[in-house]
Amino acid sequence: MAESGGGNDIQWCFSQVKGAVDDDVAEADIISTVEFNHSGELLATGDKGGRVVIFQQEQENKIQSHSRGEYNVYSTFQSHEPEFDYLKSLEIEEKINKIRWLPQKNAAQFLLSTNDKTIKLWKISERDKRPEGYNLKEEDGRYRDPTTVTTLRVPVFRPMDLMVEASPRRIFANAHTYHINSISINSDYETYLSADDLRINLWHLEITDRSFNIVDIKPANMEELTEVITAAEFHPNSCNTFVYSSSKGTIRLCDMRASALCDRHSKLFEEPEDPSNRSFFSEIISSISDVKFSHSGRYMMTRDYLSVKIWDLNMENRPVETYQVHEYLRSKLCSLYENDCIFDKFECCWNGSDSVVMTGSYNNFFRMFDRNTKRDITLEASRENNKPRTVLKPRKVCASGKRKKDEISVDSLDFNKKILHTAWHPKENIIAVATTNNLYIFQDKVN
Amino acid sequence: MEVQKEAQRIMTLSVWKMYHSRMQRGGLRLHRSLQLSLVMRSARELYLSAKVEALEPEVSLPPALPSDPRLHPPREAESTAETATPDGEHPSPEPMDTQEAPTAEETSAYCGPRPAKVSRKRRSSSLSDGGDAGLVPSKKARLEEKEEEEGASSEVADRLQPPPAQAEGAFPNLARVLQRRFSGLLNCSPAAPPTAPPACEAKPACRPADSMLNVLVRAVVAF
Repeated sequence: MAESGGGNDIQWCFSQVKGAVDDDVAEADIISTVEFNHSGELLATGDKGGRVVIFQQEQENKIQSHSRGEYNVYSTFQSHEPEFDYLKSLEIEEKINKIRWLPQKNAAQFLLSTNDKTIKLWKISERDKRPEGYNLKEEDGRYRDPTTVTTLRVPVFRPMDLMVEASPRRIFANAHTYHINSISINSDYETYLSADDLRINLWHLEITDRSFNIVDIKPANMEELTEVITAAEFHPNSCNTFVYSSSKGTIRLCDMRASALCDRHSKLFEEPEDPSNRSFFSEIISSISDVKFSHSGRYMMTRDYLSVKIWDLNMENRPVETYQVHEYLRSKLCSLYENDCIFDKFECCWNGSDSVVMTGSYNNFFRMFDRNTKRDITLEASRENNKPRTVLKPRKVCASGKRKKDEISVDSLDFNKKILHTAWHPKENIIAVATTNNLYIFQDKVN
Repeated sequence: MEVQKEAQRIMTLSVWKMYHSRMQRGGLRLHRSLQLSLVMRSARELYLSAKVEALEPEVSLPPALPSDPRLHPPREAESTAETATPDGEHPSPEPMDTQEAPTAEETSAYCGPRPAKVSRKRRSSSLSDGGDAGLVPSKKARLEEKEEEEGASSEVADRLQPPPAQAEGAFPNLARVLQRRFSGLLNCSPAAPPTAPPACEAKPACRPADSMLNVLVRAVVAF
């Protein structure tokens, strides 16, 4: 494995880190999702406490162009609150599972955020002017005594400090019996899908009181349940096409034109299991935790516990590329089962040009794979490298045998420090990497 | 023997994880439960096949491999029952105490033989009632559940064990308990879809906490 690489010899530099410095992590601060908007100007994070924090990139300073704009907090709001389902005596967690941005149509920004049961459409708008000079009200809002009004004036807008307001515009509730794992906005920008363990629903962004069920894999007899839906996404260009992945490692592509209920797939992507890799835990590590279409729509990427696979939509019987994320963990599956790490759901993402893919690992490591050069790189998100423009040093894990200098042995990896969520700016080489409760932003070195 | 112990350890661990996942906020996660039950099934198959292999040298008829477990279980069960000590109730509280969970794993192998006597006792009473006495609130419900379970457990038996004979392994009732109870687990909340739920499906959700405890007591005690 080459030491440099990961995208035409990009050198990744530390840019910023957001979040508390303490080692004592409050559970509510654990980041559960990260997403850039379509322009890359805004970066949203959701956490276990139901909060959404949006960062905005500063406009580039043309004179001092040694780095791109920094991301600063733009808006913070409480998206979801804990709820209680009285019928089932269950608490509904407020943890934000996914955030998806709508493309910008006017001055305001819109995003969808979801917890286990409810999806909300949020409008984020700026207010930088306010009306002054009312006739009946004082500036502080108190009503004037009408008898003191002797002249009439027209209120005028005067500048004020920028205020960013977030308001819930739609609440899409009561459509999911099981836990929502994905939401995806259609390329028609009018509809979106939400997927739980057994069903996928299609919504119209304007209509909250009904949704169409388009996939239902619940067996008539729950005793016969063998697989669940783990992720779903709309095709970036074809508004009739979507895919969903399963806990058995299969991906189904469905065409909504074929029938109203897309239980029968148009394509089934499945790689036959390598018998030499068969082990006790084979079944559970083949479960796909994330599926993402490439920007072009020609490929899709899936993440299972140990690898990332790239599939060509035209070829169903095997992926076109497979990248091992942390193969050295294959012999440790039993321990990882004991400490529950084997159930971790890692996400993956594409860069803007679909040439590099990225995913997270343990010990705050994250990996990038360059599809063209076939080189890969392991980097670490750590506060040790937190001087701006410090180039990140590639890391290496020593699987067995003699550990070289600067290598880390598998046994000294910290499995509590996991990077599950990463995001890549749609146009530039800026990445956002979420550790447990911190958000790291890295950029490529600009000379 | 090592394989058996390891399989047993993983089964106990899985049961504990299933129990613990019930206690988590947000309720039972279907995907997690499914994964745990898959590991349970693999562990059980491993355990049973290791058991079969261990019994192989004792058999004089070479082709009778599938039928070996049938010949031997009565003897096995009896011998383990003889070694059962009076305080068979002890194992049951241990998995409930989450702080002592790791010790439950260690002691499960240790207290393996003991509970067989206790489970046999319970087994006979539950079979005669045609249901699980502590689990369902009404007689009517119990009858329906009995029908559902008898149908379901045979279905599940067909599905889960490629060689049917292995279902009648050394611990036939353990196998049955695990099949029945852990498929029942998947019926637990969220059990009621927005559309009309079948009556039998709603029942486990009526008292999910009870059934879970009983499941775990049974399953772990049965070790």
